[in-house]
Amino acid sequence: MATRRKPAMTTIEITTPRHAAQLYAGALLSSRKRPGVVKSLKAVTYVRPEVKLDAADVAAYAKVCGFRHEAGVPLLYPQMLTFPLAMEFFASEYCPWPAMGTVHLANRVHQHHKLNVGDVLRVEMRTGELLAHEKGQVFTLEFAISRDGERVWDGTMTALRIGVKHPVGKPYASALTADVDLSCQATFSAPADIGRRYGLVSGDMNPIHLSAPSARLFGFRQAIAHGLWTKARALAAMLPNQPLESAEVVVEFKTPLYLPGRASLWATRRVSGPQPHNAVFEVRNAKGDKPHLRAQLGYTVAA
Amino acid sequence: MTSSKVQTPATVRRVAILGGNRIPFARSNTVYATASNQEMLTATIQGLVDRFNLHGERLGDVVGGAVMKHSRDFNLVRESVLSTTLSRDTPAFDIQQACGTGLEAAMLVANKIALGHIECGIAGGVDTTSDAPVGLNEKLRKILLEASRAKTTVQRLTALAKVRPAMLVQPALPRNGEPRTGLSMGEHAEQMAAEWDISREDQDELALRSHQNLARAYEDGFFNDLMTPFKGVARDNNLRADLSIEKLRSLKPCFDKKVRPEQGTLTPGNSTPLTDGASAVLLASEEWAAARGIPVLAYLTFSEVAAVDFFEAKEGLLMAPAYAVPRMLARAGLKLQDFDYYEIHEAFAAQVLCTLKAWENKTFCKDKLGLDKPLGKINRSKLNVNGSSLAAGHPFAATGGRIVATLAKILEQKGSGRGLISICAAGGQGVVAIVER
Repeated sequence: MATRRKPAMTTIEITTPRHAAQLYAGALLSSRKRPGVVKSLKAVTYVRPEVKLDAADVAAYAKVCGFRHEAGVPLLYPQMLTFPLAMEFFASEYCPWPAMGTVHLANRVHQHHKLNVGDVLRVEMRTGELLAHEKGQVFTLEFAISRDGERVWDGTMTALRIGVKHPVGKPYASALTADVDLSCQATFSAPADIGRRYGLVSGDMNPIHLSAPSARLFGFRQAIAHGLWTKARALAAMLPNQPLESAEVVVEFKTPLYLPGRASLWATRRVSGPQPHNAVFEVRNAKGDKPHLRAQLGYTVAA
Repeated sequence: MTSSKVQTPATVRRVAILGGNRIPFARSNTVYATASNQEMLTATIQGLVDRFNLHGERLGDVVGGAVMKHSRDFNLVRESVLSTTLSRDTPAFDIQQACGTGLEAAMLVANKIALGHIECGIAGGVDTTSDAPVGLNEKLRKILLEASRAKTTVQRLTALAKVRPAMLVQPALPRNGEPRTGLSMGEHAEQMAAEWDISREDQDELALRSHQNLARAYEDGFFNDLMTPFKGVARDNNLRADLSIEKLRSLKPCFDKKVRPEQGTLTPGNSTPLTDGASAVLLASEEWAAARGIPVLAYLTFSEVAAVDFFEAKEGLLMAPAYAVPRMLARAGLKLQDFDYYEIHEAFAAQVLCTLKAWENKTFCKDKLGLDKPLGKINRSKLNVNGSSLAAGHPFAATGGRIVATLAKILEQKGSGRGLISICAAGGQGVVAIVER
């Protein structure tokens, strides 16, 4: 059973995340929300004060996403630790919109220091800003992870609530640089069960990822791959098979990758950036003419 | 003592390159799929004989070889000579040094001419990966040999009883791989690209230039007197005159799986395809050429071979030319920049780029080559000016002859100058030479 308390007005501490089923019940119930005009998000912070980087969990995640053991803690793995916080938020009164029907538009992560299995981390999520998008209202969630009081990882989830009329905030702008020429780097398969397998390691059991029938309930003709799985799968190919000292990656999700399917990875490392190694990559359909996601990556290999 | 009676050859003579001939190169299993090495080499030598009117002539030697060879072709070159209109008194022999075969053959003929052992000769090479020597299943072969050694019927039947149906449908196929590492040439080249940090983009750009340069050379009629059409083909069928950088970018890496999964840079576009074809060059002393009124295109002046330990020392399999060239330059008293043209065989775009990068690298030049300072950069506009193997294709043993003839004609067109040839070969070997006019 989850233990929850509200020590301060807008900080919610979650020491034991609730079971996925409970989180989803909350998310589904949130579908009853009928917000009027939302002018701003209430500043609220969710915290998991102590989370241990568990070797078995990391290994299970790495396997599903295609990372090798030698790569250490995968760059996107800490995002998994934030998931229960995001779900709590979506189910809560602080999130004005229902969880279902919110589209993951972009994701940014920045690892500042090498992470190790066994590290004890403090995981925080706070509400971010509202941005106006041509298709609806964009809002951001900010993640921050620290170890012994030192920031080791942070990230931003950018979500779009489609259909919100008269969205507020500054206009949403792509964080990615202009067009660069990419070359075909690899092809990979997105197996029929990858949504279920990734759901188990990430906790994200959204029905649109699990099976064709469950996806159809929400208007998709087939199940679609988790955007963060597709991103992680591409990163497994783009990153070296060794731990990273630091890294940053920004991704924008373009179109769904239907399951089962094949995808192609297109990339160039001939780009400048803030890190010693920089790259731009896209995951496209098998033919290579339709992008599923586009990303910019920089990294420093651990000494 | 009788040593004072032992004679020393008078002098070393200049070796003239008089011309060359090749049949257009063709991707494996296309237009030459049913042509044998014998047929292709014969057609190529005959074309050279026709061009220089050598019918009935007794040449000093004809040297050549093939990398992929049937055991029945043990005398491949001599058999080809017998099928041409050269005098049947012309001797010939086969050699094999992987992709260095063609250039090594030219050096052997040149050295005999230089020392006055012969006055003229032909060096050539041929390869087919279409008409490949498919062998008996290895287990079946051993059983048949055991049966043939048997002295009694019982022994023979005992041996033959070991034959299994599967052995009949599992032949021994030739492999394009290094016996000591089990890796293919492309996989080794991918490892080199990783070690030297050669980008995919640089490789694709080199490949595109190769096609553009070869296409332009064809348009200019450059190959008109260097080629004999064969089987209705008049130009290398690997050449893509309309190739674009977008097309090259769209190709997926093909040698990454074992050595660099999903991080490869070598594609079918920036690697040479398996190719069928043959080439030959005519070399002679200046006196022999003058007596027949054949103009000299250029002179073959220096050569060098090198080999590297790619197995224990883990040097790149195709890095030997990087070692051979500085040794040759030291003997010739030349700098890397003292050349008007560079013909660096494009086994893989990555091989060329690794070699050039190594020559610019201070640590490599100091630690591996023992040089005080790096050899430095070359002017890239002088590199493979009329295309190279990425566009023409690469029938292993025929590449040397293609390059020698091409470079000699380029120098003849320029009037004077100096060109460098560099060819990498399987087994961690490299064969290099200097051509001057």
